[in-house]
Amino acid sequence: MAGPIINDTPIKTKEKKITIDPITRLEGHGKIEIFLNDQGNVENAYLQVPELRGFERFCIGRHVMELPVLTNRLCGVCPAAHHIASTKALDAVFDAKPTATALKLRELFYMGQYTHSHIAHFYALAAPDFVLGPSAPANKRNVLGVVDAVGVPIGAEVIKHRSYGQKVQEIIGGRATHPVFGLPGGVSKQISEEERAQIEEMAKSCVEFGKFTIKLFHDVVLANKDYMNLVLNQDAYYLNSYYMGMVDKDNKTNFYDGDIRVVDQTGKEVLKFKPSQYLDVIAEHVEPWTYMKMPFLKKVGWKGFVTGPDSGIYRVGPLGRINVCSGYTTPLAQKEYEFLAKTVTDLGVKGPVNHTLAYHWARVIELQYAAERMLQLASDKSITSDDVRGPFGQPKEGVGICEAPRGTLIHHYASDKDGLCTKINMIVATTNNYAAINTSVIQAAKALIKNGEVSPGLLNKVEMAFRCYDPCNSCGTHALNGGPALEITVKRRDGSVLTAQKNF
Amino acid sequence: MKILILGVGNPVLSDDGVGIHVARILREKGLPGVDVEELPASGLELLDVVLGYDKVVIVDAIKTDGGVPGEYYILDEKDFEKSVHGASPHGINIATALALGRKIVPDRMPKEVVFIAVEAEDLVNVSEKLTEKVLAAIPGVLERVAKEVA
Repeated sequence: MAGPIINDTPIKTKEKKITIDPITRLEGHGKIEIFLNDQGNVENAYLQVPELRGFERFCIGRHVMELPVLTNRLCGVCPAAHHIASTKALDAVFDAKPTATALKLRELFYMGQYTHSHIAHFYALAAPDFVLGPSAPANKRNVLGVVDAVGVPIGAEVIKHRSYGQKVQEIIGGRATHPVFGLPGGVSKQISEEERAQIEEMAKSCVEFGKFTIKLFHDVVLANKDYMNLVLNQDAYYLNSYYMGMVDKDNKTNFYDGDIRVVDQTGKEVLKFKPSQYLDVIAEHVEPWTYMKMPFLKKVGWKGFVTGPDSGIYRVGPLGRINVCSGYTTPLAQKEYEFLAKTVTDLGVKGPVNHTLAYHWARVIELQYAAERMLQLASDKSITSDDVRGPFGQPKEGVGICEAPRGTLIHHYASDKDGLCTKINMIVATTNNYAAINTSVIQAAKALIKNGEVSPGLLNKVEMAFRCYDPCNSCGTHALNGGPALEITVKRRDGSVLTAQKNF
Repeated sequence: MKILILGVGNPVLSDDGVGIHVARILREKGLPGVDVEELPASGLELLDVVLGYDKVVIVDAIKTDGGVPGEYYILDEKDFEKSVHGASPHGINIATALALGRKIVPDRMPKEVVFIAVEAEDLVNVSEKLTEKVLAAIPGVLERVAKEVA
């Protein structure tokens, strides 16, 4: 196969405003607007996301037991994460302690979600940039082009293992996409020995596929000097932010349960909190140009779209988690974590990995961890016990947090004595990352667009700065016609369109 | 011939749920020899459900420039060529998912995929209800589905 196409030729524009709308391969429609100054350099950039109205009104007055099913309906991308966070919130609302078997089943189910989600992101959304190149023609720079480049047998393995992730969720959760099994204090059904054995076999295969994916990442990204130059480009893809993620008692990554740890720009722990304390830690900033709020660390404060010790912007998701943890509890993920640590140390990095594109590396390590953890849990024959439901008390108020594939996910409900929801607050992973994503977009646009020169490849490199976060902004909307892949609209000062360039 | 009617959409996002509403009505009615499924996502998940069928009829919402809410269009895969690799909240859109299936597992893909795309009015408000115009379109859509699977 031909090598990836890294660069293309920029074209001079005299316009002040460049719009990328809709953003390709972002999980949720959105657009980027880039404003140029008189010299044609970037003055500012904004990532705008679609609006979803009336969610709170929709939930208030419903029985809280409905919320694990209703909240997961808001999202077609990571419903399982909402289901888990919601079920954990119900544990807290009803003061219920799940049985040991229920905890194992929930976590096993959740490893299916990670497997499915991380495979989909890496192969369908990230790989086009790395396998075909950021400046490859847009009609090739997609998952179909990746299959053409790597071959159908590998494509088939991708599809197979992503489906395994879905199958695991279906077996345990009742449905592949919108699960229905979470209850306060447990889950609605046990699994049979036959089902356990089936999951164990799929998990074994996923562990092998995780190894394959890590090797592919090494071969395609780490071994390519041009990509490493992009990854290490500190002008475009580097934020010295705070980081947040869930860890177990030994500070190892845990997707399902634990405390939430925050580290600073040197890697020092600055906060560790329980889900119920999140309001003491996180405050939300509002900008006039977007409906989505921007959370920041309360004790540090909001300083605008800048990072560093004085700005409360933090990052969650794979890069956040890898920077707050001391490693993984499974051997293959731990081995790759150590390799990453050594690689970045050799490059002179001290403390957290601030390189934004390292999200991708962290994600493939997490794919390996999810598969290994899936195998550990599925190999435990006691997981078929019928002890899947514990007692629960009267409804009150409670918070549930888990690590969604895209980052820390918070559900907070209050209930009246009859179990009807009186208050709901959710901070989803992409919201946690929103300020950082916008800062990354501004940074990449400023570094890459100079003197009014733009090209599809350059704009895609701007997109790469946020695509690596795997942002999911919609929690819902999907119109059948995906629309143009990438449209750059050049506007006059009065806002009228002068020219439009499409890269398909 | 194995036939699937697939309602795609989000049932709590106003008109986005029109496909799900249609699927539920059809399931209640019962169409002999035809499977009816709901799909609340439309990316790679699509491949999990369509494989092994000869014909799939997909009912979904659509938003077109200047479209009249409640009108519906009959489309096939070719109509989406422009949106292959296009934006979607689910990573890849329906057209890309189908194209991927045809590349990787061509033998198990349905020979025919028909889209009944209903023009939506509201894709923003969280609600289990359809808008009046889209609700009024349902009898016509049901008739058209029946024709497709007859």
